[in-house]
This record gives sequence, C-alpha cells and structure tokens, in this order.
Amino acid sequence: MNQWIAVGVFAVVAASIPAVMMNTSRLLRPSVPEKGKETVYESGEVPTGGTRLNFNIQYYMVALLFVVFDIETVLIFPWTVIYQDAVGAAGLGSALAPMLVFIAVLVIGLGWAWRTGVIRWVSSADTEFNT
Amino acid sequence: MATAPVAIAEWLGYATPPLWLEIVLDAVIAGVVVTIMLTTSALAGPWAKRKITAMFTDRIAINRNGPGGITTIAADAVRLMSKELIIPDGADRPAFDIAPAILPLSALLGFAVIPMGSGLQLADPEIGLVYVFAVSSIASVGMVVGGYASGSKYSLLGSMRSVAESIAYEIPLVVTAASIVLLAGTLRLSDIVAAQQGTLFTVAGVSIPAWYGFLNPFALALFLVTSLGEVGRNPFDIGEAGTELVGGYITEYSSIYFVLFFLGEFLHIFLSGAVITTLFLGGPAGPGPAWLGIVWFGVKIWAVFLFTQWCRAAIPRVRVDQMLEIGWKGLLVLSFANLVLTAIIVGVIHT
Repeated sequence: MNQWIAVGVFAVVAASIPAVMMNTSRLLRPSVPEKGKETVYESGEVPTGGTRLNFNIQYYMVALLFVVFDIETVLIFPWTVIYQDAVGAAGLGSALAPMLVFIAVLVIGLGWAWRTGVIRWVSSADTEFNT
Repeated sequence: MATAPVAIAEWLGYATPPLWLEIVLDAVIAGVVVTIMLTTSALAGPWAKRKITAMFTDRIAINRNGPGGITTIAADAVRLMSKELIIPDGADRPAFDIAPAILPLSALLGFAVIPMGSGLQLADPEIGLVYVFAVSSIASVGMVVGGYASGSKYSLLGSMRSVAESIAYEIPLVVTAASIVLLAGTLRLSDIVAAQQGTLFTVAGVSIPAWYGFLNPFALALFLVTSLGEVGRNPFDIGEAGTELVGGYITEYSSIYFVLFFLGEFLHIFLSGAVITTLFLGGPAGPGPAWLGIVWFGVKIWAVFLFTQWCRAAIPRVRVDQMLEIGWKGLLVLSFANLVLTAIIVGVIHT
C-alpha cells in the first residue's frame, strides 16, 4: 500500500472539514448588510486612509536570511540520516568535518547580519513612514 | 509496525488490497484521526484553556451547562456558526474567504503521519518528520493572506508580525529536530518512536526510558520554547497581541471564519504537542499493555498543552523587537550549538 495515497485521502477528508463548516454556516446565518457594520475596524474611530500603503515591513533582509537558512536545513537533513552509518564506514573526521565547515560558513553569515544590524527591529523614530 | 490501513487490510486477508479498498480504508482511518483531533482541539481544548486560566487567576470559569460547563463550548460553536458574517469594506475577495480554511487544513495534514499508539497511524512515509514541518509551515500563508485581504491596519500589522515570528522560529525548530534525527538515524516517525523504547538507566529500581527528552533535555527545552514561538503562543503571541493589535490578523473575521482561525490555532498547539511527544517523549510509550498507547499519547499531548497554558498565565508577552532578538540571536545560535555537540557526541560513540 502506498503511503502517499493515504496522505492524499487524508488531505481530501481534512479539506472537507472547513468546506462543510462554511456551508453549514451559510445555511444558518442571517445576512443584514449595513454601511456601519462593514466599516473597517479602527477602535471605533472613523477609518483614516486605506491599508494599501507603503509600509516599512522591517525585515526583508531577515526574510532573505530565512531563505538561506531554510535551504540549509534541507541540506542538513540527509546528512543527519546517514551520519551514524557514515561515522562507522568513513570515520568521525570525514563524516563530521564537511558539515562543520558548512555550518561555520552559515554562522559567519549570521555574525555578519548581526553586526550590520540586519536582525535589529528599527524603532519608528529611525524610519520614514510613507503614507 | 504497520500503519492502521495496512493492518486492517491484512486482517481482512489482503496482502495487497485493490485500490478502491485501499482508498476506503484510508478514508475510514482519516475520518477517525480527524474526529479525534477535532474533538480534542475544538471541544476539550477551549474548555481546558478557560478552566486552566481560571485556576491560575483564582476564578471559577464556565460551570453552568453540562459537567464542568463543557457543553458551553458546543453551544458557543453553534452560536458562532449562526452569526452574521461581516465582510469589511476593504476586503479583498476571494482571498478573504480562502485564508480561514488554510490554517486548520495545514495543522490537520500534519496528523496524517503521527503515530498515535494502539496502531492508530494513517501513513508512515520515510520522510515523515520533514512532511510534518512542511505542511505545518503552510499556516503562515493563511495568516499573511488573511491579514492582507482584510484591508484593516490591525490585520496587516498582525500578519506581518506573525510572518516575522514564523520565519524567526522555524529554523531553530527544524535544526533542533535535526539533532534528534542524528540520534535516531531516520526521518520515519514510527522508527523514531521505536528507537526510544529502550531503558536509559535504572535508579533505585525505577528504570528511566530512553526517551530523547531524557537523553538530551537541552534539546527538549529548546524545542518547547521554539514551538511556542512557531505556533504564536504566549509569551510569543505578538501576532495577535490582544492589548496592542486587537486581534492581529483575525481582527476583521467574524462568524464561521473566526471559528476556523480559532480552530486552526488550537490544532497547531496540539500538532506541536504531538511532534514533541513523538520526538522527545517516546510517542505512545508508557507502562501497561500496548493497546493503552493512545491513552499515553493523549496524556503527553495534554501535558504539553498544559505547559502552553502555564506559560500563557505566567509569562508576560515579549516586545516585537525582543521576539526577533530571542529568535535570531538566542535560539538560532543555541540550536546550532546543540546540533554540533550532538553530532560530536554521537560520532564519538559510534567510532
């Protein structure tokens, strides 16, 4: 039996849960649209401006860093699986040293990001908000 | 150990069942797993959350309907489902309607490969652990789509914070899990559980099982903290931050859409509990016969849930800049230190 058929069947069953709940709710709930109700919530004030604005998301460099480290985790997993056998077959040095070098490169990268202030949350006084 | 559909097919006398039977058996077991997890996280979860928080703050909480007030939760679910759905002016549809379904779906998908004991495991692929991390990180997509499509400033800020948090805590989470794979030598979740069945050592007649949580308690602590951040629970709940952002990305969601977000968050807490149980607490292992496995599994995921509620009651929320620093400068460095140290120790033992 194929494991991924089971996962696929599970995905269909799991996706039916939100779908069934949404449709049950559609049958139950009233719909009385009013202008006041549909206003965007801003703690009771009249909303000022839209949300499609230029906005300092603070961390595009962090997101780039994330991509680097996320790919790194993909590369680490195969190594962790074969590590015990590799130590037995090729010795500790040749199983561990390449991965240590790889992690060292990443840690140097993290240190660079740390020093240049990439992973620092800029307070609003330092930034130029553009609305 | 065979997965539940395989075991039932063999019991029915099929070594290789026809495709239709395979799909039917998979669907039945999937229904059982989904029902168990929905009852746990939609009914018992919110009830326990309210009761536990009340105990921490010296209150009584719900107690009128049913034993301990538990039917109040069912009534709440019906109440929320029959409420009017308010679509705000600035909403970007259909993204606004798709986002609430993504969160519970991504959490539910993770349960497909979790060994729950008593033979209840739907699928057991070779890369089970990677699969769990892959599907559970889809949740960030739901948050960012929901936050953007709401057209509210609170929602936008909340979703941006949630994504910043998810990406800061996902790397330490996965790297810490990799250190457990070093010990187990496999990504198949049932094999990781099987590798923890021995005895670590015996103290005064009490044998300590070889659970990875006992073998490497540092990794367990790291994983617990990181998964609090990954699912956005207190003290790392800055994506919702009731006192700052109203409700973060769920601000504009009402009626059934709110229920789905709420459900998705509870499912994610229990999914992270299930992953912690599988990786660190021996999965469904425990004293007594093997068919009690699912009871022990339940006890362990509820222990993790109790821990999250304890943190919720006891620890104040961190600021958004502190969250970023804890993730990138603290947990990431510690998780790499843990990985390298584990690799050296495992390597020395195996030579």
